[in-house]
Amino acid sequence: MDIKALIDKIFEKGRASGLEDMEVYYSAGTSLTLKVFQKELETYNLSEGEGLSLRGVYRGKMGYSYTEKADESSIDRLVKDVIENATIIDSDDEEVIFEGSKEYKKVDSFNPSLSEVREEEKIEFVKKLEEEAFNLDDRIVSVQSCVYGDGSGETIMSNTKGLYLRDKSNIAYTYISVVAKEGEDIKTGLAYRTGNDFNKFDAKEIAREAVEEALALLGASPVKSGDYKIIIRNSAAADLLEAFTGIFSAEAVQKNLSLLKGKLNEKIASSVFTLVDDPYMEGGLASRSFDGEGVACKYKKVIDKGVLKTYLHNLKTAKKDGVETTGNAGKDSYKSPIGISPSNFYVEKGERSLKEMIADTDKGILITELQGLHSGLNSISGDFSLAALGFLIEEGKISRPVDQITVAGNYFEMLKNIEEIGSDLKFGLPGAAYIGSPSLKIKKLSIAGE
Amino acid sequence: MLNKSLIEDTLAAALSTGGDFAEIFVEDRTNNGIVMIGGKVESTMSGRDYGIGIRIFKGFNSVYAYTNKFDKDTLIDTAKKAAKALTGKNPNIIIDLTKTDVKNINPVKIDPSKVEKTKKVQVMKRAYDTAFNYDELITQVTISYTDFTQNIMVANSEGLWKEDTRVRSRLGISSVASKNGEMQSGFLGPGASRGYEFFEDLDIDYYAREASRIALTMINARYSPGGRMPVIIDKGFGGVIFHEACGHGLEATSVAKGLSVFAGKIGQQIASPLVTAIDDGSMPNQWGSYTIDDEGTQSRRNVLIEKGILKGYLVDKLNGRRMNMDVTGSSRRQSYRFPPTSRMSNTYIDKGSSTPEEIIANTERGLYAKHMGGGSVNPSTGEFNFAVMEGYLIENGKIKEPVRGATLIGKGTEVLNKIDMVGNNLDQGQGMCGSVSGSIPANVGQPMIRVSELTVGGREGGL
Repeated sequence: MDIKALIDKIFEKGRASGLEDMEVYYSAGTSLTLKVFQKELETYNLSEGEGLSLRGVYRGKMGYSYTEKADESSIDRLVKDVIENATIIDSDDEEVIFEGSKEYKKVDSFNPSLSEVREEEKIEFVKKLEEEAFNLDDRIVSVQSCVYGDGSGETIMSNTKGLYLRDKSNIAYTYISVVAKEGEDIKTGLAYRTGNDFNKFDAKEIAREAVEEALALLGASPVKSGDYKIIIRNSAAADLLEAFTGIFSAEAVQKNLSLLKGKLNEKIASSVFTLVDDPYMEGGLASRSFDGEGVACKYKKVIDKGVLKTYLHNLKTAKKDGVETTGNAGKDSYKSPIGISPSNFYVEKGERSLKEMIADTDKGILITELQGLHSGLNSISGDFSLAALGFLIEEGKISRPVDQITVAGNYFEMLKNIEEIGSDLKFGLPGAAYIGSPSLKIKKLSIAGE
Repeated sequence: MLNKSLIEDTLAAALSTGGDFAEIFVEDRTNNGIVMIGGKVESTMSGRDYGIGIRIFKGFNSVYAYTNKFDKDTLIDTAKKAAKALTGKNPNIIIDLTKTDVKNINPVKIDPSKVEKTKKVQVMKRAYDTAFNYDELITQVTISYTDFTQNIMVANSEGLWKEDTRVRSRLGISSVASKNGEMQSGFLGPGASRGYEFFEDLDIDYYAREASRIALTMINARYSPGGRMPVIIDKGFGGVIFHEACGHGLEATSVAKGLSVFAGKIGQQIASPLVTAIDDGSMPNQWGSYTIDDEGTQSRRNVLIEKGILKGYLVDKLNGRRMNMDVTGSSRRQSYRFPPTSRMSNTYIDKGSSTPEEIIANTERGLYAKHMGGGSVNPSTGEFNFAVMEGYLIENGKIKEPVRGATLIGKGTEVLNKIDMVGNNLDQGQGMCGSVSGSIPANVGQPMIRVSELTVGGREGGL
């Protein structure tokens, strides 16, 4: 049975069971993962998966259910679960099925040339990636992981208010993590690339980046505890922003779970800081024309020159605040209810390079990696205390690598203490959102070491 | 779940290009999740995960493929597509499956799918009310309810054919305290390999009060000092230190390729003689327990470290080949979407002889970590970090004022040798562990321990 016919049957059964408005979200995808270890294709993973979720209004409340058995035999259970789940909802906030926006801007996130790349080429590429890493330096003693993967997926959203949207995308990624050893000292270095143009992946360049990262850290030691001027390098700054993304959600604000409550149009960050959510960004890996509720997406500045301009909204939170949705309804997969998520979400870049920023830093620390981001920070309080790696800056130059330190502060305070933003905007690995930042120079943060 | 001849045919197709071992894993799992914020049910999700994974080995190399379709054509086709990654002759392995019954070590009294959702909501409401009414500074409480029933079948070309059912239940309580424009939170998440009876037996009020007590204590705390100092880590979830500092480094996933700092060290003293550490997936009804692992091997008690000496690793089938070691019943995965690999189950430092009072009284200055948050590790360097959810300063052998925002960092090889006191009050805590084969339920445990020196990350000068 094709998917459209299946959706019609689900709606039919739903209506007969007393459901009002309904929506089906279907996604299907294929993926390939290749891993090389010591010149051999050690892992070869193939997948073909699909899943379908139903949400529907029953006596004024929205219920959800999903299945990975996308066929007729699942319909009864889907409908029954939706009704049962809707029955226990007692939230005052009204969640609705959307009839559709007037216009949808086209987003091209499927590159047909990626599906034409032969498997042999991909295998050759990932083998070369490992080989290059070993060739670059004798101190590279092993490669932790050397991976190439790609996948393509399709999403269909269809509801009883007449909305029918389809989206297709594909993506490829590759990463390598190397281990460098000198004496008893061991350091690792990681480099990755993402995108849907296979030809842009340069094995030598990626390997070099990972190797240089690891080698540069050899011989690292802690610094004395105290307050330091800090430059958080682009990728680490993006990781930190990602961990705090939840504070911009209107849902968190409305539920008293974000300290940004009541701060609209107030200055919450340094004047050099502008935060953008751009679903149409060129090359953006979270580009989309419609959000998880089918609302057309739009460009917005969340923070403009330090002033908080908007929260991220879906239909439910927008209605509650009496504003228009910002098109940020999130739906990670058919398994998740509607939440809130940014798209391509980044800090606008500044004028000067990281090198220039270092050059006029008399004494400070350049943080290149933050660890334990899922545990060492509290997005509710804004407090963070994270294991970090990086370099000591003395008299405008990098003087030595640093490890076994933590960097601690409060994100809300830190936003106000940003002195300069670099020109080196870089994005992290894509997930539900694609998050980027240039390097950030912070007046001071606390370092604990020796 | 699948009939014998279909499994045998699929395995045969998987081996048609020279593979020397093939395995099929079938999963049919029901999930239920409910989230309550501010005392109201905000969202609910029920669903069914349903898929089949096919794995093939040839020497040290492996191929994995999965699909959501269970019909014969799709399965044979998926097996053949996977097999295409290998090149070789059909080995003519004769597959003759014999079904073995397994006796479930995690008996379930009340099937959660038979319990009305309104009853589950009552459990949540009770937790919410207790947590919210704990103190007027508690401004928000989020309760999450989860239960799932995972039916699996595993069969392989060596003739193994087993089925198992895993039922798990968990309640999450997150309290937020607010004061003077600041917020702090406390979280507890008790869970078990049990049915709905878990919630009926659970001391809900205790956990709800604890979550709020932590949030309240932290809103009134100052920032932790930073620097190197003695650290006392309390029982239960404090065991996350062993999980991160050492446990991941003992998984064959990193040992087999020599990537772990603990590779090649069996029989060597790697920890203080006070440390005995165990991974035991066979503890009845524990959160990280299972009757058989995801390769069909019976779970068991594995001694990892005995009196400081490294005794063994956690070994799965594929890595066992590279290491020339037997499997330890430790092969796990989040779902059919991940090939399984060696993972922890219920991992703990065994009890010692000191009383908690002695440990504190014998510590002149330092940090007392009463409740821990999560952490992570780089197994190649052994560098770990984890967060202290509720901490206190210790002065002159007494617990003094609370401190917030502390993180503990170090290297696994160092910290194990610096454990200089081990308490007699062993306890377990529940968490989710994320690694290559996905996110899986795992217990961490320990009695109270003292580490003579650790780097504490904080925001104020040294002690």
